[in-house]
Amino acid sequence: VRHRLLQLEGLIEATLTAGILVSAALLVAGLGLARESALRLGIVLLMLTPVARVVILTVGLLLRRDWRFGLTSLVVLLILASGL
Amino acid sequence: MLRSDARISPLARSLLRGAPALTAAGLAPASLIQHRGRLVSRRSRSGRTIATILSSVGSRYDHPVPETASVLLICVGAATGLVGSLLGIGGGVLLVPLLTLMLGVPIRAAIAASLISVIASASASSTVNLDRGFVNLRLGMVLEVFTALGGRGGALVASQLTQRQLFVVFGVALLAMGLLTMRRSGRRNVIPDTTLDPGVLGGRLTEGGVEYVYRVKRLPLAFGASLVAGAISGLLGVGGGIVKVPVLNTLCGVPIRIAAATSAFMIGVTAASSVFIYYRLGHVDLRVSAAVALGALPASLLGARLSHRVEARSLKVLMALILLAVGGRMTMQAL
Repeated sequence: VRHRLLQLEGLIEATLTAGILVSAALLVAGLGLARESALRLGIVLLMLTPVARVVILTVGLLLRRDWRFGLTSLVVLLILASGL
Repeated sequence: MLRSDARISPLARSLLRGAPALTAAGLAPASLIQHRGRLVSRRSRSGRTIATILSSVGSRYDHPVPETASVLLICVGAATGLVGSLLGIGGGVLLVPLLTLMLGVPIRAAIAASLISVIASASASSTVNLDRGFVNLRLGMVLEVFTALGGRGGALVASQLTQRQLFVVFGVALLAMGLLTMRRSGRRNVIPDTTLDPGVLGGRLTEGGVEYVYRVKRLPLAFGASLVAGAISGLLGVGGGIVKVPVLNTLCGVPIRIAAATSAFMIGVTAASSVFIYYRLGHVDLRVSAAVALGALPASLLGARLSHRVEARSLKVLMALILLAVGGRMTMQAL
């Protein structure tokens, strides 16, 4: 279990890094240039970043046949999806 | 045009129930006052509740968002993000009062901005914490279920309590946790015997070149704390870490660094489960939210890196002081 999770940690880290970097660039552009569209896109991307990491964790665990934690993560994803 | 109570959204209805509590906590701006047990606009002669204001079309806030300089908002976001990532609490518990009381931001805009800042802080600090191996993914995933459920169903439980009961219970609980955290600040949760099995949800931690083992105790208590954390998250715009971290550390045997990192990993999801509702209702002020999130992002990266260098005992003392301050304020204002 630990080995499988360690493999996924790198992928989750990359997803979070990409999410915050792209969002930050859009927010800086939006504030600096007073562009509402850039601000809105930056905020929405930031809001979706934790959802993306739950999706990756769920898919990654299910693909690795880690049913116990994969299904646990799927429940979290379903609860999140109900609020979208 | 206002919608009838029967047609208002679940969030609006939960805020209608919890709205007086916002006043008691000092989270509601001066323009909102208590009227016949409800939170109403000072300028509204018809006594519109915060729920009906939330659901109204065309008027997003009871008073306009002040034209606060973006630089000031970025600094406020950075300060709360730094403390939030050091302790794994996100910083929302400090940001909402600062935005409403100090900068005059309307409560709904402040809660939405706080949730977005918590997401920024949680995502940024998790990149560092994952790299350092401080995040307990298994424990985080299991507790996330309860936090997300708490976020959905917590408003129903909270609606059964009066504002005084809600805030006295919450305030006293924080005070008790603060005292317990302070008293146990010198106690370690780690076991130096590395041959010991940490169990499915426990783990290993390397500090100063020495490897330790920790086991998770009293799991039902961690589930309960996560439910409560989720419930208060959507109502008050906080990530819930202020409940989870002290319970995990003080009562469940999780080392403070692991508890803070795992909480930071979870609170992004907790905040995300509420923030989309605020966004859909049009309560996200883009400029305020963007500025505080921009401040929180680099400060949280810094906080996560600093947390490795700060002594575990100092982190616990800082957490205890914040618990005592927030708990004391909530209790005093509710009494």
